[in-house]
Amino acid sequence: MSSQEQTVDAPSTNALGVEVGLRPVVDDHDTRGWFEAAAQGRLCIQECAGCAAQQWPPRPLCRGCHGTELVWREVPGRGHVHTWTVVTHQINPSFPVPYTVVLVDVVPREGDAPVRFLGHLAGAPALEVGTPLDVTFVALEDDVTLPNWVLAEQPSTR
Amino acid sequence: MTSNEWVPDACAVVGIGTTEYTRASGRSVTSLAAEAVLDALRDAGLSTSDVDGFVRSDYDEVAPVALADALGIDDISYWGQTGAGGAGPCGMVGQAVAAIRSGQASTVVVYRALNGRSGRRLGKGVSVAGGVGGGSTMLELFSPYGVTSPGQFFAMLARRQMEVNGLSPDALAEIALVSRRRANANPAAQMYARELTREDYYASRMISDPLRLFDFCLETDGAAAVVVTSAERAADLAQPPALIRSVAQATGQRIGPGQMYPVLMSESLDQLSSKRTGERLFERAGLSPSDVDVAQLYDCFTITVVHQLVDYGFTTLGDVSDFVLGGALELDGALPINTAGGQLSEGYIHGMNHILEGVRQIRGTSTSQVPGAQVSLVTSAPPPGGSALLLVSA
Repeated sequence: MSSQEQTVDAPSTNALGVEVGLRPVVDDHDTRGWFEAAAQGRLCIQECAGCAAQQWPPRPLCRGCHGTELVWREVPGRGHVHTWTVVTHQINPSFPVPYTVVLVDVVPREGDAPVRFLGHLAGAPALEVGTPLDVTFVALEDDVTLPNWVLAEQPSTR
Repeated sequence: MTSNEWVPDACAVVGIGTTEYTRASGRSVTSLAAEAVLDALRDAGLSTSDVDGFVRSDYDEVAPVALADALGIDDISYWGQTGAGGAGPCGMVGQAVAAIRSGQASTVVVYRALNGRSGRRLGKGVSVAGGVGGGSTMLELFSPYGVTSPGQFFAMLARRQMEVNGLSPDALAEIALVSRRRANANPAAQMYARELTREDYYASRMISDPLRLFDFCLETDGAAAVVVTSAERAADLAQPPALIRSVAQATGQRIGPGQMYPVLMSESLDQLSSKRTGERLFERAGLSPSDVDVAQLYDCFTITVVHQLVDYGFTTLGDVSDFVLGGALELDGALPINTAGGQLSEGYIHGMNHILEGVRQIRGTSTSQVPGAQVSLVTSAPPPGGSALLLVSA
């Protein structure tokens, strides 16, 4: 199968970037802050200014206290693979196959349950549940910055 | 004096109707819907003049009022809608029950019509100049990474279960094979004349690892409908009633914003909304999973069936591969499923066709009849919030 013929160091022709990917809407009322933080090189989730509860994905109000003042709180840039899929059948022309979608666990604060982000890797790198990844900020056209993930060079300390 | 408690067996499905399931209907969706409804009314021994309500899926292009108009029904007193999409059908029957029990209508038709193959194809993905997402869709957090269709969502669920709970690819294959065997006995199934072997399954192309072509449901042009009325009325009509013992909608803790993809960010992917749906369903019915004789489990993908086998309480995540590979899903097994072929092999009417087959099992008219079936489970898609139905014989 073609996906198994890809090496880990596949050429980055299908890595997320100007040529690959779909541009997100970055001015949605509830999600714009995430993209604004990404433009500053920060990976963030929502935090309620009233009760300090954190939530991800973003909502228009705090799910706990219904407060409407929500700030963007940075989370660590180290994540671990929760699961993934290697897309091998060409569906969307913006995403040449093969590529890998990863679902990444990030622990916001020590002791918290992880939150999850999506990521896009070129080709079909060898992955396991728990493989460490580091956040990277991809500059797309029109000043849109999208957080993405790369295989970590240093293992995580647990 | 009315009670707010669920009342079992107060309503029944008294008619089922369908069009042919094809790859190119050559007709409008309204035409398909009308044919399915007329077929269901004929089956019930009723006519359009008896119908005073309609319930549609939020994905259906045929509006309830437009369908009434097409059928020459000049006045309807109730129309409803629920979803999302394939999560809707059992909940749609629940709305019919609610309308009847509240006195807003007496005979309600629940329908689904789509040109799923020749028309707008579900799951084809998005491509939007100016950016994808926004408007509370949450797609801006998913589509830019290449998550553009449900196959990728369910593939990630399958991969997680394979890595963490030992789900065997053979179990997915077996679900596809069982569905095809049932379809091979059903002349109305799209895959009636096409056999599927284990070799065929493993030779088929990988679409989104670990899901292959035969892990995906069909794309179908067609329509299906059911007629719901009170149990009292049902007793006098043409067919043995399929009493609605219970119906339930639930999200559990898998609730999220947007439509479906944000479920990937929920607390655990070990469990979908089907867990809470099953609890609510069996509690209302006063039944338990061991009472179920036959099940029509929503099967957009083979992995969706796996999750529901666990969530509805038939097995555990650790045991599901052994459960499936030990023959439980066969006609003589502990839990025969998808006896008309399911969406994997009968046709994909977005969950509606499962309700028809669930009724046939109660009537004893299935092409793969489970002998003596008295409790028939039907489910609709789990994410982001699912629904289910228990039908019993009168």
